[in-house]
Amino acid sequence: MIILKTKILNKNDIGKLIIELSEDYNFYAPLKNENGILIFDKVFNIKDVILDYFNSKFPPKEILFPRTEELFKFKTDGKNIIEIINQPRTDIKNIIFGIRGCDAHAFNLMEKFFKSGNFQDDLFLIKKQNSILIGIGCNLPKSTCFCTSVGGDPFNKNYTDIFLSDLGDKYLFEIISDAGKKLLDKIEWLVDAKESDIKNAENLAKKSRTLFKQTLDLKDINTILDNQFNNTLWNSLTNNCIGCGNCAFICPTCTCFDVIDEFYPSKNIGRRIRVWDSCQFDIYTLHASGHNPRNNKIPRFRNRILHKFLYYPLNYGFLGCVGCGRCIQICPANNDLRNTLQALKLDKINKEKMEVKK
Amino acid sequence: MISTENLKISNIYVPMLAIIKSITSENKVNDIKSFELVFKNENDFKRFKYIPGQFAEISLFGVGECPIGIASSPTEEGSLLFTIKKMGYVTTEIHNCEVGDTLGIRGPLGNGWPIEHMKNKNVIVIGGGFAFSTLRSLVNYIIDEKNRKFFKKVLVIYGNRDPGEVLYKETIKKWKMRDDIEVILTIDKPYEGWNEKVGFVAPVVKEVAPSPDNAICVVCGPPIMIKTTIAVLEELHFSDDQILNSLEMRMKCGIGKCGRCNIGNKYVCIDGPVFSLAELKKLPNEY
Amino acid sequence: MTTESENQEIQNKIRNIATELLNSKKVDVIIGYVNGTIPLDASIDFIWNSNQVNKLVWNNKCYLNLAKFLVSKEPQLQNPKDKKLNIGIITKGCIGRSLIQLYTENKIDFAQIKMIGINCNGIIDRNRIVKELGEVEILEINVIENDIVVKFMNLKGEELIKKFPFSEYLSRSCKNCKIKTPSSTNVPQSSCYGDFQNVSNVEDSFNDLNEFEKLNFNERFNYFEKMFKLCTNCYACREACPMCYCNLCFIDQNKPTWFGKTNNIYDIMAFHITRAIHLAGRCVDCGACSQSCPAGIDLNLITRKLQKIVKNRFGYTAGIDPKIKPPLTDFKLDDSEEFMLEE
Repeated sequence: MIILKTKILNKNDIGKLIIELSEDYNFYAPLKNENGILIFDKVFNIKDVILDYFNSKFPPKEILFPRTEELFKFKTDGKNIIEIINQPRTDIKNIIFGIRGCDAHAFNLMEKFFKSGNFQDDLFLIKKQNSILIGIGCNLPKSTCFCTSVGGDPFNKNYTDIFLSDLGDKYLFEIISDAGKKLLDKIEWLVDAKESDIKNAENLAKKSRTLFKQTLDLKDINTILDNQFNNTLWNSLTNNCIGCGNCAFICPTCTCFDVIDEFYPSKNIGRRIRVWDSCQFDIYTLHASGHNPRNNKIPRFRNRILHKFLYYPLNYGFLGCVGCGRCIQICPANNDLRNTLQALKLDKINKEKMEVKK
Repeated sequence: MISTENLKISNIYVPMLAIIKSITSENKVNDIKSFELVFKNENDFKRFKYIPGQFAEISLFGVGECPIGIASSPTEEGSLLFTIKKMGYVTTEIHNCEVGDTLGIRGPLGNGWPIEHMKNKNVIVIGGGFAFSTLRSLVNYIIDEKNRKFFKKVLVIYGNRDPGEVLYKETIKKWKMRDDIEVILTIDKPYEGWNEKVGFVAPVVKEVAPSPDNAICVVCGPPIMIKTTIAVLEELHFSDDQILNSLEMRMKCGIGKCGRCNIGNKYVCIDGPVFSLAELKKLPNEY
Repeated sequence: MTTESENQEIQNKIRNIATELLNSKKVDVIIGYVNGTIPLDASIDFIWNSNQVNKLVWNNKCYLNLAKFLVSKEPQLQNPKDKKLNIGIITKGCIGRSLIQLYTENKIDFAQIKMIGINCNGIIDRNRIVKELGEVEILEINVIENDIVVKFMNLKGEELIKKFPFSEYLSRSCKNCKIKTPSSTNVPQSSCYGDFQNVSNVEDSFNDLNEFEKLNFNERFNYFEKMFKLCTNCYACREACPMCYCNLCFIDQNKPTWFGKTNNIYDIMAFHITRAIHLAGRCVDCGACSQSCPAGIDLNLITRKLQKIVKNRFGYTAGIDPKIKPPLTDFKLDDSEEFMLEE
C-alpha cells in the first residue's frame, strides 16, 4: 500500500486538532459515557477524549448506521397522505478519530453490503462517503481479539483515510487516502515524520502481531460450514444462548433492521423509520399467518453463524466477521463464537476421518 | 407531492403514491379483496416496468408496508391490481380503505416468472386458493395477443375449498370462453350447483396427467397442496427444473437490505420469490 | 469458613448430588453452571451424563437465573413423545424463589423437577468491578480467602493485581438477599436435594432504597431519564428474567402497537417501567437483569422499589411459599384502595 504522506501528531496537540477540525466536521472520538463505558461519541469537551484504550465496548457503527433512522416523513389531510417529505441530510461530514483496524474494516464491509445488488442504500452510503476515518493501530490486542484469524491485522491501514501509530508521546500520522490528504491541508502545522518514527511504528506492529493469545484457523471456515445446516451439533451449541439481541447490536458488521411507521394523528404527520433488529429475536421471521420458519433459538443461532461465515463468502466473496471479539465479551450467557466454530470444525474433521475409515 | 426524481440521491425506501380506483371483494367471507391502483403521478407508470411474478411493497402510511404479488399483467395497462388477504396488522387496515384513498407502491420487486425460459413451451399453471394472484398475471400475459404466439399449450388447474373462494371469477370466465387455453377448476368437496371437477388439486393433476415433454409447470398454493402436487408431478416424470414455485416470507425492505427473508444465502425478495424446485432443493429447509 | 472454601464445598456437593441423580436416573438432565471462556463469566450447560458432571462448577460469577431455562421453551428440554423429562437444577436461594413463584403461576410442575439446593454465598458485582478497574484486560478473577482477587493487564502490558473485599463487592441483590439457601416450605420433599431451609416470613428493611426515596416525583423522573439513556434495547434483561415468559412480549405486539421500539428515551422508559410493573409481586430479586445488561444499568433498583411497595401493601414476598397466592392474582376484602378511591 502506498502511504501518501507521513507526519507526526504530538499527543499534546490533539486538542488543537479537534478544535480546528470541529469547525467543519462532527468530530467523533472515544469517550466514556455516564456509566464509565467507552463508546464513540461527538466531542464537546476535549478533556473527555480517551486516548488510551483497547477498544470501545460499543462499536462506532451507530455513527453511520443509527439505531433509529428516519427513512422519510409524510403529511396527511386527516385521512390520506398528501405529501412525502424526503430530505435526507447530504451535508453532514464526520471525522471518526481513534477507530481500530477491525472497525474500519467493518465499515468497509457494511459499505459493500449496502452497495450490493440493484439497490444502493444511499442513506448509509452518503454518510460513509462524507466520513473520514482516522484509525489507530493496536499495540496490545485483547485475548478475545482474533482479527488476524479473519484476514485482518492490528495495524490494518486499509479502509482508513489516515492511520495513526501510537509511539508513546506522539502518533505517527500516515495519510492513506485522498480524503485524508485533503484533511491534511487543513492542519498544515503537522511536522514531517523521521525514519526512526516510521521504523518504530513498524516494530510496534510486528510486536503486536505476536501478542495474539490465540489464533483460530478460519482459513476454510466457509467450506467447513458448507453442508452443516442439518448437523445436530447446533442443538447443544445453542444451550447457553438466551436469545437476546446483544451479539447483533454489538457487532460492527451486523446491519439487519426493522421498518416501523409512526403517526401523530393530532399533527397529521408521520414518518417511516428503521431500527436495529436481530435475527435472534423470535418475531424476526414470524409470518402474519403465524408460521415461523425459525421458531426456536437453534435455527436462529445457526442462521447467525452461517450468515457471517458461509453466506457472506457465498454472496460477496468475503467473511462477515472482522474478529473484534465484542460478541464474546458481551454475551450475558458467555456463548463463545470461538468455541462454536472450533466445535463445528472438529466435528467435520472427525466425521471425515470416520468416512475414510469406512 | 414530492417524487424522488428530482433529488440527487435516490432513496430506495420511498414509495410512489397511488389512488385506489376500485375494490372488488373476491370471496364470500370478504377477507380477500382486489385493489385496483392508479399512480397519482402519471410518469410513475413508466418507472414501474414489471413482469408477471413480481411483487410490490404496498404502503398504508402510518400503518406499514406489506409485500403483495402483482395480480395484473403488464399487458393490462393503466392500472395495477393487487389481491390482498386480511391476515395481519397492515392488511387488516388496508381492508378498511375505500375507493379514492391513497396507498404507496414500492417496486417492482423480485425476480418474477422466467418468461424467456417459458417461451416455445407448454405452460402448465397450477394454483390453489388465495395464492393465484401472480398466476393471473402470468396467464393474462401469455394469452395477450402480442404474446400468445410465443407459447405453446396453456393449461390452468385451479383448486379451491368451495366455489365462493375462487378468485377472479370474471377473468376466469373469459379464459374459459377462449380456445387457446384449457381451464380446469376443482373444489375440495361436492357443492350444490357446481358442475365441474371435485377433488384436491393433486389427484386432479394426476387424473389430467399433463405430459412433461417440452413443458414448464408453475405451482402456487398452500404448503400441503404444493407438497402433494409436486409429488404427483414427479410421478409424471417432470424434472426439478421444470417445476417453479413462488415463495412467501416475512419481508420489510423487499430489496435485500433488512436481512430477514433469507433462505440460506438467498434472499426471497431479490433472488426470489420465484425458485425452481431444483434451486429449492439446494437451499436449507427454513421456509 | 472463607468464601473460597465455601465455594469448594458447594461445588463438591453439586457434583456429588448430580452424579447420584443422573446415575439413579432420577433426572434425565441437569441444568447447571460451567466455567466461562472469559474471566468475568460463568456459563451454563445441560448435563445429560454423569461422566460430564465435572463440568459443573460453583463460583461467585454464577449470576444467570437457571429457572429461566424451564420456561423459555428450550428446544433441548422439550418432553419427548413418550415421557416427561425429569430435570435437575442447581438451586441457589433466588432460583428456588423463582421456581416457587413459577409454580404458583402454573408454569412448572415440581413433579418433574429436582432442585439441588446450595448455601449460596453471593455473586460479585461484575459491572462495578469493571468500572473501577477502567480500561484494562482482566486476566483472572478468583476468590481467595475473603477477597476477590483480580489479575489484569493494563495498557502498557503490565500484569497487576487488585483485591476487592468480597462482601463489599457483592451485587445489589446479593447484599440485600435474605434467602441465600432455597426455601422448602410447602415444596414436595421429593424435589429437594442438598441444602434447604424452612422459610415462613421475610423481614426486609429495604434500606438500600433510602437514597432513591429522598427524591421527589420530578427528580425520580429525571433519574430514570438519565439511567435509561444508556439502554441499547437488546432485551437481555427480559431474556435473562424467568418471570418474563410471555409468548409475545407487549413491546413486540402490533395489534395494537403499545409503545415504540426506537431509542427515544420515552420509548425506552416505557418498556422498562412497564416491564417492571409486570414484575410487581413476582420479581424474586435475583439480579440477573442488572448483571446481564451490557450498558450497566441498575435495573434491579426499580424492581426492588416495587418489592417494597408490594411488601408494605400486601405483606407479600415473592417465591417463599407456594401456598400463598400472589397479591396481584388475588384480593382480600380489607385490601387498602386509597390510590383508587377518593376519601
